[in-house]
Amino acid sequence: MQPVLAADALGLGLRSVHYRTGWESSPAVDYVELIAENFLSDAQPPRYHLDQIMERYPIVLHGVGLNLLGPEPPDARYLDRLASLAEYVRAPFVSDHLCWTGAHGHHHHDLLPAPYVPELVELAAERASLVQAHLGRRFALENLSSYVEFTQSSLSEWDFYSGVVRRAGCFFLLDVNNIYVSSQNHGFDPEQYLSAIDFSRVLEVHVAGHSRDPDGSFVDTHDRAVCEAVWQLYERAWQRGGPFPTLLEWDEHIPAFPALLSELSLARKHQL
Amino acid sequence: MKPWPSSPSWLVELQRRFGEMLRTPLDASGSALRAAPESYDPTLIQATCSPANGAPAARLAVYNRQYWFRLLTVLQRAFPLTARLLGFWHFNQYAAKYLRLNPPHDWDIDTVGAGFAEFLRGTLRAGELELGGTRRVACAALLEAAQIDAAYHAVFRAPAVSAYQPTAADSERLLRGRLRPSPAVALLSEHWPLCEMRPRALASAGETPLSLAARLAEPQCWLLAREQLTLRLWPLAPRQAELLELLRQDSVPNALARIEAQCSPAERGELARHVREWLAQSVQLGVWTGLDD
Repeated sequence: MQPVLAADALGLGLRSVHYRTGWESSPAVDYVELIAENFLSDAQPPRYHLDQIMERYPIVLHGVGLNLLGPEPPDARYLDRLASLAEYVRAPFVSDHLCWTGAHGHHHHDLLPAPYVPELVELAAERASLVQAHLGRRFALENLSSYVEFTQSSLSEWDFYSGVVRRAGCFFLLDVNNIYVSSQNHGFDPEQYLSAIDFSRVLEVHVAGHSRDPDGSFVDTHDRAVCEAVWQLYERAWQRGGPFPTLLEWDEHIPAFPALLSELSLARKHQL
Repeated sequence: MKPWPSSPSWLVELQRRFGEMLRTPLDASGSALRAAPESYDPTLIQATCSPANGAPAARLAVYNRQYWFRLLTVLQRAFPLTARLLGFWHFNQYAAKYLRLNPPHDWDIDTVGAGFAEFLRGTLRAGELELGGTRRVACAALLEAAQIDAAYHAVFRAPAVSAYQPTAADSERLLRGRLRPSPAVALLSEHWPLCEMRPRALASAGETPLSLAARLAEPQCWLLAREQLTLRLWPLAPRQAELLELLRQDSVPNALARIEAQCSPAERGELARHVREWLAQSVQLGVWTGLDD
């Protein structure tokens, strides 16, 4: 039986640097999120750590390589391994992004946007539905942070995102930092984004830090604390649809566990 | 799984253009790597917009930079000794050339550097490489460093394996069989004290080149083996390293015959005893996973 996360669970995105430090103290988090691709190869060390982590925490899996909107079908080996891994860790759900990551045989290792048009709502929904069926468990799509929009788009990002999730019968992994970053880059009201989300289908909310490039672009860097504006947006999301599990992502310049836990605990102050 | 629905042709074309933009090399003519949006496909630029601030091409440049810096960082982390011998600036030039020829094709980003050591072997000329000012580094040392980094990466990422545990019944089979090498073990050879330098390269902050110590009087061989999650080095005598390499390539009797042929008459007197010790040690260190007939 898959573990069930508490409705207001607080989780941490666990990264490889954490495996070498801090496990003895069993940091006080309700669950952890692992980047699925780090555990899909045959390499032994990640598997060893996985078993250690499983003993202490419920695990949710977060993918970055599905390539949902890519031109080629996903690698069958990838999907089979993902399904096996999810089964092994008894993941309550698996997530990836509403984006494309590669094309024409290249894997770009980035989360790339596509035009927001009805035709792609249908396509992404059909594909997400297939993925969810293949995984045999709940599958959530995360919204992107993006730096460009396409002139071809005829839908807002939130209508596109909501349309895909609704049609696919899958779920939202709502990243409020990504909403904020994109709202600053594209000049939309993040409140309007939240108003389009059916919170009954939100499995998890991500918070993270971002930075600003010299040219003014807001960039989703996950390399610092969550800024106050994002916490405010999180608070409004909570008012609209809380409780929901909340996860802190911090991928670069990662501080020690006490600082991470302190940052994560700020979520409680914004659950008003 | 049911058939994967096809993308519309316009999306495929847009993604082709976007992918080419991502792979556009960064300009290294200044003191820092910078994107060159003026070289992006105008059709792609016209297809994008950024209402809030910044020109679309400048926004595309964010993706272009991210693509390169992510991959360069992966290579710097996979080849820490090579990166610090060259310094990050020079390392990035070689890494970028390699990535232009070998862009990633796999979802596993850790495989990106799989051919980098081989690429350097085909790229670096004999002699020394100038690193700016009075700094120079021997190309042969760089190639050894890249081989050592690649070996560390491969051994660490090897799957879980069970070490070969010979039984009494194997003594006959050993005389005609072939030992199966463990993927969690590598043989290293160095002419500079690179294995000693590697932990310092990992521990020291900064991007500038580290000085290379003097060339060793004699080459040093090592066995790199993973024990649980730790990588350990064991010094090997030259003949011991030769024997292990021969055993990885050939059957036990052929390897023994070849090592004997390479020994001087004086060495042959002690060879049988040494071979027994070296084989026993190799089994103890988990160099083999089995014995094939």
